[in-house]
Amino acid sequence: MTTTSEAPARRSAPPALPPGERARLERAFSVPRARFLVGLPIALVVLIWSMGGAEFNVVELGEGTVNMGEFLSRLFPPSFAKFGVIVELLVETLQMAIVGTVLGAVLSLLVAFAAASNIAPRWLYYPARWVMNIIRSVPDLVFALMFVSAVGLGPFAGILAMTLGSLGSIGKIFAEAMESVDRGPIVAMQAVGASKRQVIQYGVLPQAAPLLVSYTLLLFEGNVRGATILGLVGAGGIGLELTTAMRMYDYGHLSAIIICIIVLVTVIDQGSALIRRRIT
Amino acid sequence: MTLAAAGTTVPAATVPPTLPLVTVRDLRVAYDEHVVLDGVDLDLRPGEMVALLGASGSGKSTLMRSLTGFVPVSRGSVRVAGHDVTNLPRGGLRTLRSDVGQVFQQFHLIPRLSVLTNVLTGALHGAGPVNLVGGFSSAHRVRALQLLDRVGIAHKAEEPARSLSGGQQQRVAIARALMQQPKVILADEPVASLDPKLAGSVLRLLRQIATEDGIPVLVSLHVLHLALEHGDRVVGLRQGRVLVSAPTARLDAAALAGLYEEEDDDDHDL
Repeated sequence: MTTTSEAPARRSAPPALPPGERARLERAFSVPRARFLVGLPIALVVLIWSMGGAEFNVVELGEGTVNMGEFLSRLFPPSFAKFGVIVELLVETLQMAIVGTVLGAVLSLLVAFAAASNIAPRWLYYPARWVMNIIRSVPDLVFALMFVSAVGLGPFAGILAMTLGSLGSIGKIFAEAMESVDRGPIVAMQAVGASKRQVIQYGVLPQAAPLLVSYTLLLFEGNVRGATILGLVGAGGIGLELTTAMRMYDYGHLSAIIICIIVLVTVIDQGSALIRRRIT
Repeated sequence: MTLAAAGTTVPAATVPPTLPLVTVRDLRVAYDEHVVLDGVDLDLRPGEMVALLGASGSGKSTLMRSLTGFVPVSRGSVRVAGHDVTNLPRGGLRTLRSDVGQVFQQFHLIPRLSVLTNVLTGALHGAGPVNLVGGFSSAHRVRALQLLDRVGIAHKAEEPARSLSGGQQQRVAIARALMQQPKVILADEPVASLDPKLAGSVLRLLRQIATEDGIPVLVSLHVLHLALEHGDRVVGLRQGRVLVSAPTARLDAAALAGLYEEEDDDDHDL
């Protein structure tokens, strides 16, 4: 059947590519565009200005290498005399990170629903984003100090600081993971007459799940490292022991603590990398 | 000259003389100054399969979407399965959509979920409290498996949808639409992503559903011979207006050719 071939040939000429543009596209090596030629010097100027302000000095670093080597030499040999204490505090750090991550991820998920533009109404979207921006701009140590003053010294204050800190960082990433899902299944769920809750449950979450789990594992890794710092202000974990060892010039013990932290963080990194590979 | 006279295959099914389940009168859809559909009339009767033809940008997808409230109607009346689409009560949009099974070009399955769960999502509108914890009733599961039997994919019920071929995914999407127990099925270019063999099998399935279940099917297509082979009627759109509307046996080849005459404007999807 050739019904379409019977159509009259009334073809208008397509718009032509200007010769200049054609010549530019045909060149093997393209000349950078004006915005690149202007942007690159500006970026370099900003970098040099920042290095000056931050007193970045390669010569000084070279001269200080000897001192650095001397400091590192003091860390050897490590002393595992208080290995039991280190393990006990590392377990506490790990427990803080687990609880902080679970609470942080759950709260972040709830806030992310409000901060995802393809889910939340405008009146909810902007306040949710602002709240996360504010939380993100406050260092975790400040939250730790705040909670230490509220609930006293110990890991509980650290967990609360970690949870609140997670909300600002991971909440935004969760929201962006939800925004990045394919819109097709969402349309399909709307098309079957699903409610808003069902559209999120079936159209959004299954698609975003690999990213949400992956980011939660990254959050956990970050929280394990973060928990070692929070101890500096008395918010539990191994941080306080680490600071004390430094102040007491107990370099052998300090070295043992650092080695144990490295082992823990490496094991967690490898484990979560394995899980991430399987789910993504 | 009619295509039947030219030797084109004419489907055996005839249009039953019953009241239409879809009635569109003088439909106009416009975005600001841009008119997408104007003066469109359409009837869909139980058991018939109507092929919607037209060049890209002629308004086929917009017409489909206007039937389920996905685009606002500027003027005219649209009645679908007893719902007045232009004047729906509160909550009526979800009920309307649950009565209309939709099949899409890109299938729109949830890739990570199992084939069975994808079919079950067709029953979300009436899933009941068990769905609050992500469940579906046994009755729904039995029905979903029966539908998978019908489309020939029951043996892959537990596999993730993403592991299926394009033709199989479209069959799952059709099973999902049937899970709704729809009164009407709208298929927007359901075979545009499939090879000719799979396209034929998917259209035969839709044809079978229309004939056996009495569910009217409106299917937009780009390939003329598929429309003539599987449709009872053809409705052709050009620049948002109905240019052709006739049973496939009485189609005018010249009018069909007119559907695809080139415009001076650039192509644009609607």
